[in-house]
Amino acid sequence: MLPTLGNLALWLSLVFAGLQFYNTRRRKKLLLISISVKGLLISSLLSFFLLMYLYIISDFSVLNVFKNSHTTKPLFYKVTAVWGNHEGSMLLWILVLTIFNYFIFKLYNKKNFIFISKALEIQALISLGFIVFTIFTSNPFERIIPTQVNGLGFNPILQDPALAIHPPLLYIGYVGFSAAFSISIATLVLENGKNFPWYKYMKPFVMVAWTFLTIGIALGSLWAYYELGWGGWWFWDPVENASFMPWLLGTALLHSLIIVEKRQSLQAWVLLLSLLAFLLSVVGTFLVRSGILTSVHTFALDPSRGIYILAFTALLGGYSLILFSSKSKKYFSNNYFTFFSKEGAILINNIFMIIVCATVFLGTIYPLLIEAFTNNKISVGEPYFNSTAIPILIPAIIIMGVGPILSWGKENKSEIIRKVLPGIFLTIIFTIIFFSIYKSFSVIGIVGVVLAFWIISNNIVILYKKKINLNIGMITSHLGVGFLILGITGSSVWQIEKISNMKINSEININKYKVIFDSVNEVKGPNYLALRGNFLVYDKKKNIITTLKPENRFYPITGNFTSEASIHTNFFRDLYIVFGEGSLSEGWTIRIYYNPLVIWIWIGALVIFLGGLISINRNFKKLA
Amino acid sequence: MIKKQILKLPFIIFIIILSIFFYLLLIDRNPSKIPSALINNYIPDFEANSLFKSEKFYSSDKFGNEITLVNFFATWCKPCRDEHVYLQRFQNEKGLNIVGINYKDNPEKTKQWLQRLGNPYSNIAIDNKGKIAIDWGVYGIPETFVVSSKGIIKFRHVGPINKKIYNEINSLIKKLE
Repeated sequence: MLPTLGNLALWLSLVFAGLQFYNTRRRKKLLLISISVKGLLISSLLSFFLLMYLYIISDFSVLNVFKNSHTTKPLFYKVTAVWGNHEGSMLLWILVLTIFNYFIFKLYNKKNFIFISKALEIQALISLGFIVFTIFTSNPFERIIPTQVNGLGFNPILQDPALAIHPPLLYIGYVGFSAAFSISIATLVLENGKNFPWYKYMKPFVMVAWTFLTIGIALGSLWAYYELGWGGWWFWDPVENASFMPWLLGTALLHSLIIVEKRQSLQAWVLLLSLLAFLLSVVGTFLVRSGILTSVHTFALDPSRGIYILAFTALLGGYSLILFSSKSKKYFSNNYFTFFSKEGAILINNIFMIIVCATVFLGTIYPLLIEAFTNNKISVGEPYFNSTAIPILIPAIIIMGVGPILSWGKENKSEIIRKVLPGIFLTIIFTIIFFSIYKSFSVIGIVGVVLAFWIISNNIVILYKKKINLNIGMITSHLGVGFLILGITGSSVWQIEKISNMKINSEININKYKVIFDSVNEVKGPNYLALRGNFLVYDKKKNIITTLKPENRFYPITGNFTSEASIHTNFFRDLYIVFGEGSLSEGWTIRIYYNPLVIWIWIGALVIFLGGLISINRNFKKLA
Repeated sequence: MIKKQILKLPFIIFIIILSIFFYLLLIDRNPSKIPSALINNYIPDFEANSLFKSEKFYSSDKFGNEITLVNFFATWCKPCRDEHVYLQRFQNEKGLNIVGINYKDNPEKTKQWLQRLGNPYSNIAIDNKGKIAIDWGVYGIPETFVVSSKGIIKFRHVGPINKKIYNEINSLIKKLE
């Protein structure tokens, strides 16, 4: 009964999306458009929450629930299991899409009827594409006969709070770019778009998308850090790249929008970027869902799904990019500006972001290109990305430090030097303090730390000068980037890794700590059994710092083993222990990491997110 | 005029990339076929305890005389059971020498498992720490290598042997002979 209702709601959302497309295309009365937009929102809410309810009551007559849930699973993870699989995550995607759709609808006023109608028409088209895809290739309400007594369980490494909320945040990011995409198309087809403040409509959506994409990526990274037990937090996995690329474009887009707002130039560029940001998001989905690239994230493979998403991408991309090539001319301006100005800095930074994005894109699809042309398989990994993307990011970060302190328009060169000096001075002081504590020198380490303090110092200078009209959101986010760079540098340059076979009572030294393997005991969790090691950590003066308790878990229902790293964190370093294979007589394989400054990555991401939230608030207020 | 062409560039690049994706989706490709840096190289040497025999297993003794199939397996691995029939066919029908590497497993369980399903292996090395697997660059269990009579790795397959792989290995062996 309920699954049928869910399926019905899904079909209803298809009908309403179709209606919205028709009504907005024909520019019907606002009432009709309103009915279709609200109908779409309500029906997709209904189908999403019905599926969630089916998970909560463990209705194993539904194939999707049967495959991904189990009665022993904690309630929280029953709920999050809804989007822990391909079919359910498509429902979430549709829901987020229709929520954005509703917010665009709310922007209607007397002056923008044609513009918003066009944007809603494109949104309806996107919704239609994803709803049709879900109904015909990935229907989460499919039944299984006969009804099963219990489910197959759930991939235990996904049973984790950070990962549970990671997809919704990421989807807000991806789908948020769909709003920018629709607004961009609406602008391109507009007759007198040059004089219409379309960028004011686009900016809040880009802010939302970028902010949530940031925190979504960070949470995924945090999960990888403590759950995968590899001691790292970024692996240049194709799926990580698939979220990183729209983020880079989003960053460029966000900053160019500021120039459009202030100077009315770069309009064509922004229109193109906003098209590309969403197209890259969809291509990212394609890479994950089609199984064309092998990755830890790949859901169950099905080539028909891949072909569908690809065909849909071709439609969206083909239409929008042709439209761009024929209609964007009127948005070009000869409003050039100088290198030494705020807009100059933003533009240069933009170019760097695009280059990094292209570099990452090339690295991600390079194995596919090689395979298509030569039939050989190669893999591109960390060494490529680290040696290409990072050097391009360095000048971008240097410019990012000065950008906010420069003025709009032309800036006097001696004036610039005067403005930059306090920042340089502070950076030097911070760096000296830092290295007098850390005393570990390497070129990359010094570069990273200087860059981090460069960003932090310049923002401190701005705050200190207390200009009126201070853009708190921007300053907060930029400070966050400074912290982030500090964390990234510390953890990648000064990480120490020790792998050894340890028996009970044996000990090992790492950095200035002594780790003693104290005991092993068995633990029973809600749906797993675990072997837990107890490790006592002492410092140089033989004071006990902490007891670390990594686990080796076995999930009997799915037959999976997972390892739970145990981490002791403070502002200076993480101690990270992974409990590997072994036995009482032969000892266990133990991996211990000393990861300096990791926490600043998470603090940084959180601060960037907060800054984003502040700016979102500000931009929506401007629109109202 | 030039500007007009440039404006088409995003579209053109987009179409090229999508065509490649389409091509890759439509051709018959196998993502589990991963090339090995070891192909056309000598096998990594190792020593280990043997499962059924009391003497140690030295790879230098066991390779280099005839074409040998090296199969990494474990009793806890369900796909290993699926491919077992093919290993037996290799042994029964082709008389192929098959060396098993028992990966992170319980020796007693393995013995029972082989008694029940039949034992296609001429020798089994015990890799309880997974060290041999690391040396051989094993991705996952099961995984199979074809080693030539000179001790050189000629082929590698990640995942269970199925009909297609069975035929592929057979034709490769004919070529090597």
